[in-house]
Amino acid sequence: MSWSDEFDFVIVGSGAAGASAARVLADTGASLAILEEGPAVTSDEFGDRAFPAFRRLYRDMGAQVARGRTVIPILQGSCLGGSTVINSGISWRMPEEVWADWRDTFGLGAALPLAELHRHWDRIEDELGVSPTPEAVWGRNNRLMDDARRARGLAGGPMRRSVVGCLGTARCQLGCASGSKQSMLVTYLPYARERGAVIRPGARVDRILWSGDRAVGVQGRGFTVTARRAVIVAASAIQTPTLLARSGVRSRHLGLHLQGHPGTPLIGVFDDEVNMWSGATQGYEIDAYRQAGRFKVETVSLPPETFLATLPGVGGSWVAAMAQASRAASWAVALRAYAHGEVREGRFGRTIRFDPETRDIENLRRALRITAELLFLAGAREVITGVHGLPERITSADQARLFEDGPLDPAAYLFSMSHLFGTARMSVRPAEGVVGPDFGVHGVRGLYVVDSSVFPTNLGVNPQLTIMAIAMHAAERIAAAA
Amino acid sequence: MVRRSRKKLGPRARAVIDTMLPSGAAHRMLPGAFEAGFDDFYDEFARTAVAPMRLAFGTALFAAIWVAPILIRRLPPLTRHSRADRERALGALATSGSPLLRQLATVLKGVICLGYGADPAVRRAIGYR
Repeated sequence: MSWSDEFDFVIVGSGAAGASAARVLADTGASLAILEEGPAVTSDEFGDRAFPAFRRLYRDMGAQVARGRTVIPILQGSCLGGSTVINSGISWRMPEEVWADWRDTFGLGAALPLAELHRHWDRIEDELGVSPTPEAVWGRNNRLMDDARRARGLAGGPMRRSVVGCLGTARCQLGCASGSKQSMLVTYLPYARERGAVIRPGARVDRILWSGDRAVGVQGRGFTVTARRAVIVAASAIQTPTLLARSGVRSRHLGLHLQGHPGTPLIGVFDDEVNMWSGATQGYEIDAYRQAGRFKVETVSLPPETFLATLPGVGGSWVAAMAQASRAASWAVALRAYAHGEVREGRFGRTIRFDPETRDIENLRRALRITAELLFLAGAREVITGVHGLPERITSADQARLFEDGPLDPAAYLFSMSHLFGTARMSVRPAEGVVGPDFGVHGVRGLYVVDSSVFPTNLGVNPQLTIMAIAMHAAERIAAAA
Repeated sequence: MVRRSRKKLGPRARAVIDTMLPSGAAHRMLPGAFEAGFDDFYDEFARTAVAPMRLAFGTALFAAIWVAPILIRRLPPLTRHSRADRERALGALATSGSPLLRQLATVLKGVICLGYGADPAVRRAIGYR
C-alpha cells in the first residue's frame, strides 16, 4: 500500500542521531516524521538467542563486512532505535583533545562550541540516567579487570552507561529485555511520539526529492514524504553517504574518510569459575593508554553463540576449549585506528573498504600484549591469543611479549567494528568536505546531515553520547534556520 | 494447507558438521552438533538467513569438503577419510596460511555456533544462565 504525507521536518534514521534530533525538534512544535528502514521492535520481544536477534535487529543479520586485506564485520543496528538497541549503552563525552583537534585542524570550533556540547551532555546524562556501572552487577568478568587495573595502578574504572536498574544478564547485544538500557527505543523516540512525531518503521528511503537545488522530501518503496522545512539525514556513516550519492549529491569526499575503532577480543582462562554471562555485558574499562597508545581495554561478554565461535580448534580440541567457557574472561581492545576506508554504492550494491594501517597493527600488538599481561595479573592460567602465526595459547606474562612480534598483516587478527565516522565529513570549505558548519550539505538547500558521518575524525571513545549531543546541537541550529 | 519442505544438509555437509562438533561424547559435558539440534537450526537458517550469509556458509562447506583434504595431502572429498584425518584436514583449513581459507573456517564455526550456542544443554554446560 502506498502512502504519502507532509511534515515540517523529515528525519531519516531513528538511532542515536535521528532520535536525538527528534527529541529537540519535537519540543519546537514543528511537525515531524521519523523514517526507519528496520522493523519496529519492543523490549518484550527480545530473547536470549542470537540468531533471531541478528535477524531482527542487525543490518544484514550481522553479516555486513568491510573488505580489504582482511574481512571485518561491521555491526550496526537496523531496527527502531538503531544501534542503541544492540550496544552496551557506554557513555563517554568527546575527549577535549579530540575537540581541540577538530577546532585547530578542521576549523570547527565555532560550529561545535564545546560549552554547547556540554550543555547537551548534561541534559542527556540526566535524562538517560548515565552513571558508572554499579558494583552489584559487575560480575566476575568485570571484577577481574578491576583487580588487574588496581594492581598495576592504571587509569580506568567502571564504565559509565545509560542504563537504569541493570539486571546484569549480559544480553545488551540482543536487545535489553528488561528495558533497563535507555536506548532510543525506550527514551527519545517515545518522547517525540508523545509530542506528535510520526514514526514509520520499515520505511527505507531510496532517494531525496528535489525542487531545483532544494531538498523537498524523500521517497522510498511505496511512499513519498514531503518536507516543508528540511530533510535531516541521520542514517549512519554507512547508509548516509550512499543515500546522498543515490540522490545526486556530488562531493569527492562523499563516502571517503571512513574511520572507526576496530576491536579485537582476548580470552583468558582461569582456574575457577568466571561466569562471564552473569554481570554487565560491558561494565569496566582501562583507558590509561587511550591517548598515547590509541587504545582502550574493555570487558565484553559476547553471547554464547558468538563467543564459542571465537574459540580455537576443531573437533575434540574445539569441544575441549568450549568446556572451559565458564572459566573464561572475555576482554577486548578497541583501537583508535589511523586508517581511512570508504563506502561506495555500486551496481551490485554497497561496498565497504577498510584496511588497518601498519601503525594501527603496531598499536594493536602492544595493546594485546598489555591486555594479556593484565589477564595474567588477574590470575589467568592461560590466554588464547587468537592471532594467526602466534601460539594458540600462552601461559605466562613473559610470553605476552610474543604479541609485540606478531604479524603486521591485518588478516592475522580477528577484528570487528561498530563505531563509524567521517563519510560525509564537516568542513568549512566545500572543497574539503560534504557538510558545512551549519550541518547543511554544501551546495544545496534544505538538506542536513546530523549523524557521525559528519565527524572529521574518530574519537577513541564510545561515540553514542557525542553523536547525540552533536545531533541535538544540529537540530537546534536547523530549527532556527530552516 | 501448504506443507513446507524441510531444508536438509547433504551427507557430505553433515560429515563436516559432525567432524567439527562430534556426536557421541567427545567431551562428557557437551553434546555434538546434531545432538544439540543442528538439523532444526539449519532448517531455520536456510529459510531465513540473508543470501550473503547462506552463500558464505555454502562456500565454507565447499572448502571444507573439497579443499581441506588437499591441505593434508589427501584426495577430496573429506568424506573419504577417517574421522582423525577429517579433523586434521579441517584443522589445517582453520590455520591455513591463506586468509581466505581461514575466514571460511571462521564462517563455518560461526554458523555452527549460531545453532549450537543456543542449545539449552550446551548453555548449561558452559555456565550460561
